Amino acid sequence: MNWLREHHLALRSALARLRAAPGSFVFNVLVIALALILPLAGLTLLDNLRPLSHALPVEPEISLFLSVDTTRERARAIGDELHAAATSAGLAVKVDFIPREKALDALKTRAGLNEVVAALGTNPLPDAYIVRLAGRGDPAASQRFEQLADSYRQLAAVDTVQLDAAWVRRLVALMRLAEVALWLVAAALAGVVLAVVFNTIRLQVITQTEEIAVTRLLGATDSFVSRPFYYMGGLLGLCSGALALLGVVGALTLLNAPVAELAGLYGASFRLAPLDVRSTAMLLLASTGLGVTGALLSVWQVLRH
Amino acid sequence: MAIISFSHVYKTYPGEVTALSEISLDIREGELIFLAGPSGAGKSTLLKLIAGIERPSGGVLQVSGQDMRKVNRTTLPFLRRKLGLILQQHRLLNDRHVLANVMMPLIVSGTDLRVASQRAEVALERVGLSAKAAALPMTLSGGEQQRVSIARAIVHKPRIILADEPTANLDRDSGKLVTDMLAAFNAAGVTCVMSTHDERLLRGADRVVQLSHGRIIAMQSAGSEVGV
Repeated sequence: MNWLREHHLALRSALARLRAAPGSFVFNVLVIALALILPLAGLTLLDNLRPLSHALPVEPEISLFLSVDTTRERARAIGDELHAAATSAGLAVKVDFIPREKALDALKTRAGLNEVVAALGTNPLPDAYIVRLAGRGDPAASQRFEQLADSYRQLAAVDTVQLDAAWVRRLVALMRLAEVALWLVAAALAGVVLAVVFNTIRLQVITQTEEIAVTRLLGATDSFVSRPFYYMGGLLGLCSGALALLGVVGALTLLNAPVAELAGLYGASFRLAPLDVRSTAMLLLASTGLGVTGALLSVWQVLRH
Repeated sequence: MAIISFSHVYKTYPGEVTALSEISLDIREGELIFLAGPSGAGKSTLLKLIAGIERPSGGVLQVSGQDMRKVNRTTLPFLRRKLGLILQQHRLLNDRHVLANVMMPLIVSGTDLRVASQRAEVALERVGLSAKAAALPMTLSGGEQQRVSIARAIVHKPRIILADEPTANLDRDSGKLVTDMLAAFNAAGVTCVMSTHDERLLRGADRVVQLSHGRIIAMQSAGSEVGV
């Protein structure tokens, strides 16, 4: 009960001090929010892109398009040749035949293309094969898989061979790089937040030197003296984090209209969504923690003298 | 039984400045002691040692059974809660009203705000300043500020009151009022140690300790005088 009373008193004291200089508090919140908004926006963007990258096939994949004039019997027979070539290259593969009719049906289901396909009159698509490497993560197998794609190009009746995995792997690698870079930026900006809170609290402590000295003479413990400053740091962090998250939501709202328009041009629907409640709570907790840590360091540095 | 005990205590400041030397003095519970002497005699330093504001450079000092050499940042606040401090400069917080200032010793020790407020009102009543509870200290006269300071010193019912020149900067009537109040608290059983260089105030003391150049040069009990 006493513990609760002391914390209640410290919070009241911190709020009273903030009310005494609201302009300074708001300015500091703005500075810290600006430092936080970049990593928060980056995290939100990555959070939106991650499901997309996970939906894409990361395992190496070869698409083979046969000549349009290839007969169905010949087309089906090529499947055995593809298996044989992979086996002789020491690769376990999964081969899927996609008849031209099925490909056309898939094309028709794509938004906006039904009328285009109907206007063509005949099916312009060839029979095709998708060859997937069974198992992933073996660089040597990936390399042999690329050689296998070259050998497929020599087969009669094969018109085009596409090795589809590379760009996806590059995209995933790029996203990993972006994530690491973002965490590094976040760490650097966390340092900025700590420095701003540290300095703000230090000035506050110096301003209240007389009050601290008097309360100590009257029997105040270090905890009693320090606690309001920890609350001030925590409130600074919390308000700054909340403002930065609001800024990100505002930016997403502005971006969503052009993003939806762009996605619509590709026949897709995509919206940038704000972080979920759990992530938001975690980030607010982190920004509050940064504020308290800055205050802890500052109070410790000033009061130990 | 001594509530404060000095045994061969000395205090030096950097630069070999000796503020107190060979102080041996026992102060019994309930005593009213005046520390007398000119400026620079060591009166304030002696009070600071008792309050734990300064540390003895040597010797043994015990306050309320606690060896001041062993007091640290954690234990000092609890010792100070047994003391009532009245300082020459009052040291009231000017951004808080009088009642809040008087409540401070109770608040730092975790007393419920409502209880603290009630007790502070009683303390202000005892020093005759109930009407000024909502005023800011800077709007009060010097004598009134000192009375607020006294209310703050007694609100938590301390065992010892330390008063450093409590009548300095006060006119004669205000000074008399302040010393009468401290004598009344002493009559209620509180040990009072007061420094002054105003000889007129010394009459009501149980003992007067004369200091000069950091040494006790004479000790006068009620009705007798002992040279040291």
